[in-house]
Amino acid sequence: MQLKDRIAQGYESGWNVTDGATLTENQIYEADVVIIGTGAGGGTTAEILAQSGLSVILVEEGRLYYQKDFKMDELASYANLYQEGMSRVTKDGAIAILQGRCVGGSTTVNWTSSFRTPEETLNHWADRFGLDSLTPDAMAPWFDGREQRLNIEPWTVDPNPNNDVLRQGCEKLGYSWKVIPRNVKGCWNLGYCGVGCPTNAKQGSLITTVPGALENNAHLFHGLRAEKLIFNQDRIEHLEASAMSADGVTPSGVTVTLKARHFVAAASAIGSPGLLLRSDIPDPYDRIGKRSFIHPVNVTVAEMPEKVDPFYGAPQSIYSDHFNFSGGVDGPAGYKLEVPPMHPAMAAGVIPNHGKAQAESLAGLPWTNAVLALIRDGFHPESQGGTIGLRDDGSPYLDYPVTDYLWEGLRRAFHTMAEVQFAAGAKRVRLMHLDSDWYTSLADCKAAIDKVPMELHRVRLFTAHQMGGCGMGAKPEESVVNAFGEHHHISNLSVHDASIFPTSIGANPQLSVYALAARNSARLANKLKG
Amino acid sequence: MTSRTDETLHQSDANGLDRRSFLKAGLGGTLLLGTVSMTVGLTGCATQPAGMVGDTSSPASNYQFRFLTADDIALFESLVPAIAGPGLPEQPEARRAAIAGTIERIDSGIHKFGPANQKELRRLFDLLNFGLTRVTIARVWSSWPNVTTDEAHAFLERWRTSSIGLFNNGYIALTKISNVAFYGYEENWHLSGYPGPPQYAVDALPQFKQTRSA
Repeated sequence: MQLKDRIAQGYESGWNVTDGATLTENQIYEADVVIIGTGAGGGTTAEILAQSGLSVILVEEGRLYYQKDFKMDELASYANLYQEGMSRVTKDGAIAILQGRCVGGSTTVNWTSSFRTPEETLNHWADRFGLDSLTPDAMAPWFDGREQRLNIEPWTVDPNPNNDVLRQGCEKLGYSWKVIPRNVKGCWNLGYCGVGCPTNAKQGSLITTVPGALENNAHLFHGLRAEKLIFNQDRIEHLEASAMSADGVTPSGVTVTLKARHFVAAASAIGSPGLLLRSDIPDPYDRIGKRSFIHPVNVTVAEMPEKVDPFYGAPQSIYSDHFNFSGGVDGPAGYKLEVPPMHPAMAAGVIPNHGKAQAESLAGLPWTNAVLALIRDGFHPESQGGTIGLRDDGSPYLDYPVTDYLWEGLRRAFHTMAEVQFAAGAKRVRLMHLDSDWYTSLADCKAAIDKVPMELHRVRLFTAHQMGGCGMGAKPEESVVNAFGEHHHISNLSVHDASIFPTSIGANPQLSVYALAARNSARLANKLKG
Repeated sequence: MTSRTDETLHQSDANGLDRRSFLKAGLGGTLLLGTVSMTVGLTGCATQPAGMVGDTSSPASNYQFRFLTADDIALFESLVPAIAGPGLPEQPEARRAAIAGTIERIDSGIHKFGPANQKELRRLFDLLNFGLTRVTIARVWSSWPNVTTDEAHAFLERWRTSSIGLFNNGYIALTKISNVAFYGYEENWHLSGYPGPPQYAVDALPQFKQTRSA
C-alpha cells in the first residue's frame, strides 16, 4: 500500500498548485507552454515538457481530488469527478456520456484498461488519412515507454466473477478472449476504480505524470476553465480563463490570463474542439468538431446461478476481440466485448425501470452480470461520427446520429452478448432496452432481439470513450492537425488528446492517448528548446 | 457585485433563448411542448429554488434546495413513491423521511449537473407542473399533491412505452435521477444486496480515519 500520498506530500514540499476558487483578483501568468487539460494527454505532455526544462502551466476546469477524497462513494464521486455531475448526454439526450472532470481527467475515474492501438487501426490511418509515420512498428517504442512509465501489464490475479462470465461464455462458444492489461501498481483488487482509486494503485495522470510535472516546477491551476485562445496576427498570444467557485460549477467572476510561446489543447474530444470553436481558430475547410467518435455501447444483463458481486474486484480484466475486426477493418460494424462494474447507483441508473420491477432487478444485483459491446465507429462510409457544437453559453455539446449501419452492429452485439451469457450459465438475460423483458432461453432472447425496435431512447446507449473532432491527417482539407498533433494553420498550437484520432480506436483509448502525447511532446520539447 | 449582475443577465438571457430555441425546433412534439413551455414562463409557476423547506424535509433536515422549486418538490413527492416502489419503508414517518431525503439528494445532484442540463430539466419540470400541459401532455388529471402512487406509476408507464422519443427521454430523466438518488444512498444499499466498501479496506485506509494530517 502507498501509505504516503504523493499529492499530500507534494503540497507539503511546496508544489506550485493554485485552486481557482481561492483567487479574488484577476491575474496574469506567463510560461513557455500552457497546457489545457490534465488527463492522459495533458499530464503526459506536462511531465515531458517540464522535465526538458521548459516552464509549464497546466489548466484544469475540474478540481483537485485525491486519496483523502476517494472514499468509495458513488454519489459523491459522480457529482464531483465526472462531467456535468455524470449527467452529460448527447444533444438529443439519447446517449449517456461518462467522462472525467477533475485533475487527471478520465484517467482518475476509468477502469484501468490499457490497450495498444490495434494494428488494424494504425494501418487504416496510414491508408486512409496518410498517417504513414504512425505504423505499428514506428509506434511500438512509444507504447513500450508508456507501459513502463505507467506500470501497464496484463492482470495477473484471477478475474472477478463478473469478468469470468465473459471468459467462460467465450470459452464455451469458441470465441477468443484475453486478459486485459491494467495501469496499476500494488492494486488491492477492490473494484472502485470508477470513483477515484482509494489506494493510489491506479497509475493515472493524477499520481504519475501530473506530479512528475509539478516536481519539475510546473504550475497547476485547477478549478480554472479555459474560455478562449486569443490571437495576435497569426499566433496565439494568450489564453483567457475563468476561475470557478469552490462548488466547481459556478464561475466566480475572476479571470486569469495565461501567456505562452506555445499552447497545447488536451481538454478531451469534447473540450478541445469546443475550445477551438470558441476561439474562432482558422478553419478554412470546416473540420473542427467533425468526425467525433464514441464507441457506442449497448449492454445486456444476466441473472447468474451463483453470486457475481459485480461491485467487487478489478472492474475489467477480460475482453474479447473476436468480433472486433472479423468483418474487415471497414466492413460491418465490429465490436469489442468487455464487462462494466455494477455498484448500486450505477446499476440503478443503467437499468431503465421503476417501481416493483426496478426493486426486483436491484434486489438481484449480487447475482447480476453485465456485458457491454464497444462498437468500432468511424471506419465505414456510413459511420462519419458526430459533431461538436457550441451551446448559446459557449459550452460544447456532442450531436451524434446513430446510423442504420451502427444499429445493425448494435443488434448483432445484443445477439453475441446474450449468447455469451447463456453459454456461461445465465438463468435469464435482459437487454438494456425499454421494451425488453427477462428471457429465460437463448431462443426467446434472440427472437426478442430481432424484434425490438432499434431506436434512440428505447435502446439504452452509453459512451465512455470520446475521440476525434480535431482529427489528424496529411491533408488540411480533411483534418485539423498533422501526424504530430500540430495545428495545420496555427504554428504555436498543438492538440494532444483523443480528439486527434481520425477514427475511433477499437479499444479503450487511454494508452493510445498516452503514447501519441509522449511521442508528440518529445518532438515539441526539442522544437521549443532549439 | 460584477458576478451578481452577470448572473442576472445570464438568467434572463437564458430564458429568452429557451423560448426561441423551442419555437425553432423541428420535431412536432418539441414544437408543441415548446409553445406550452413558453406559456408556462409567462404565467409564472414557482420559479425560485425552494431554499429551506421545513415542512417537506425530514424534521431534522435543514437542507437548502438550490434547484428544485416548491412545485418540483411536490412533483417528486408523488413520483418517488412510484419509482422507489416497494423499496420505501412502510412506517409513515420513516417513509416520509426516506422520500424527503431522496428529493434532497436529487437536488444536490442536479446542482452539479451545471447550467445546460439544468435548463433541460427546468423545461421538463415546468411542463409537468403547469396544469394545462400536465393534463394535455402528461395526461395526469389531478395536481401532483393529489396524484396517487398508482396514477404516478401509470404516468411513468405511458412515457416509458410511448412511441414518442421525447417522452421516453423524459421517462429516463425522471427515473434515472430518482433511482440513482434512492438506490445509491448508503441507507438503501441493502435493497441491492450491496454490503458497501470492504470493511478491511475501510479499516486500513487513511482517508477513513477521523484524525489525519493534510
